Amino acid sequence: MKEIVILSGKGGVGKSTIAASLGTILIEKYKVVLADTDVDAPNLALFFDAVLRESKEISASEKAFIDYEMCTGCQECVDVCKFSSMFSSNNRPIVIPYTCEGCGACTIVCPEGAIEIKKVVNGRVNISDREETLIVSGELDIGESSSGLIVDEVKKTAGTEAERLNADLIITDGPPGIGCPVISSIKGGDYVMAVTEPTPVALNDLKRLVEVVQYFKIPCGIVINKSDLHQKSRIEIEEFSDEHNLILLSEIPYDISVAKSIAKARPVVTAYPDASSSLAIRELADKLIDIINRPD
Amino acid sequence: MLMEKRLEACILKAIHKRPVEVPVIAVTGGKGGVGKSTVAVNISEALVQMGYRVALVDADVDAPDDHILLNITLKCPLDVAVTLPVINDEKCTKCRKCVDICRRHALFQPRDGSPILIGECNGCEACILVCPADAIERSKRMVGKTYKNGTNNLTLFTGELIPGVEESSFVVNALKARVFDEAKDSDIIIIDTSPGTHCNVINALKGSCEAFAVTEPTPLGIHDLKRILNLLQVLHIKADVILNRSDLPGVRGQLESVIKAYNTKVSVEIPMDDLLVKSYVEGVPVVRMYPEAESSKRISRLSKEIAAKYIK
Repeated sequence: MKEIVILSGKGGVGKSTIAASLGTILIEKYKVVLADTDVDAPNLALFFDAVLRESKEISASEKAFIDYEMCTGCQECVDVCKFSSMFSSNNRPIVIPYTCEGCGACTIVCPEGAIEIKKVVNGRVNISDREETLIVSGELDIGESSSGLIVDEVKKTAGTEAERLNADLIITDGPPGIGCPVISSIKGGDYVMAVTEPTPVALNDLKRLVEVVQYFKIPCGIVINKSDLHQKSRIEIEEFSDEHNLILLSEIPYDISVAKSIAKARPVVTAYPDASSSLAIRELADKLIDIINRPD
Repeated sequence: MLMEKRLEACILKAIHKRPVEVPVIAVTGGKGGVGKSTVAVNISEALVQMGYRVALVDADVDAPDDHILLNITLKCPLDVAVTLPVINDEKCTKCRKCVDICRRHALFQPRDGSPILIGECNGCEACILVCPADAIERSKRMVGKTYKNGTNNLTLFTGELIPGVEESSFVVNALKARVFDEAKDSDIIIIDTSPGTHCNVINALKGSCEAFAVTEPTPLGIHDLKRILNLLQVLHIKADVILNRSDLPGVRGQLESVIKAYNTKVSVEIPMDDLLVKSYVEGVPVVRMYPEAESSKRISRLSKEIAAKYIK
């Protein structure tokens, strides 16, 4: 079983749109599990009108809790916190829950033993499906932290489901950025498909993403979405791909059918199978299968 | 899952604490690529055109792009570093206390040796605090940089995470500290946040008088708008919506019901505009390059409203 992780650096360039269409095409021939690790904005299931089958709470975050009956208000915990997650209010230390890392430094310095680190629920992993399509997605609770740990749980669940179904492939629709949820998404993946668009901004973010992917030594290919948006930037992306030995997997032309299919919350290959973008994504699917099945 | 979450009053007070007199406006939005940076840069430029001194803060430290939209090279870097523990073999008594206290399991004790750092250390210093022999010294690990660029009346502050590093939140905090220290003379501070609703977005939003949530009228945009409006409600930050690419095929009815549910309003609709795309790829704000464009007119009008409301 192989896992393809879809990332982009910049948000809104078409990760989920392409993931939904790729999933739809590949499910025709292979057993596929879809995973959505954009736990801040999990959108992939929307494309399939999928029914929620199972939702489990995840306690992947740890936080400090103060027992105020024991606390003497000495403030040593406030001074020692490296995450600016404690402050003093009327001589009482207060934990700011959403930034507390649960590192436990405060428990060491507290002379009264008044602080305890406890696990807290910070999100959930949802399994939903529609016909042959199974989607495992993560959701970070509003105002919670440790999104990387929710991503780990999504990947674990997707792996278990894939094993259960004897699947050939996991397609993971990742988050924007390059921070901890992206790093968690990359880990254990077999191939990264980096989606970008021909603009200076998207290229800047792509460069930062490729640095991260190459740091983890995972093979990576590039997809230029809305490829006819800006000729100069498109050439720059092609040059960047050459310099870094990245395969240019596909150039998907700008196509109003994509916007229309998003409005209907349908993969473009389902809503407009003959559209130019759909044809390009079909070619991309063949190429991807070819690449990941190649012996290393 | 959307929440009816209540934060203690003193935590809300800490979130709303603004160390400067200058008004702070945030530009945010749950979904990526909806136009947060474009809107933030153009509001800033429009306010500069009106004669105000503006500090624009690019707090999307994973993907900081405001400088590209302004076609400038980042300057005046300051390092952001976290503690890296270094174990002094001569002082270490091999008591294992540091290994046991580390909740990230980043320390490993080989047989007959001093502990070594093998995992991902987040610089919390628990090991240093617990060591009875004072055998752990502080070294530094770089996690990012903050920058400051001044041109005319626009000062751009940028935070940048080093690729491959996870500590975005340290960079956001260092950036905010630098802004509140160095932007005291501005008339207004505009903060451009990262997408999402996680702790880095919250740290970026801290101290804001009002937040504009940028979205587009698609099912995906609306799904993520709900999450950011929910967060702003939990944080008690006044929220307004900016509807970008307002003429995209979409689901207006859904949008209206979300806006109603969160008791907010659409402050401005920005239609799709080829001139905006042209200026975007050139690295010039559309309000400067094509002041007559429809998008420029709408953004300028919103900027006037912001100035009238917040700048004394």
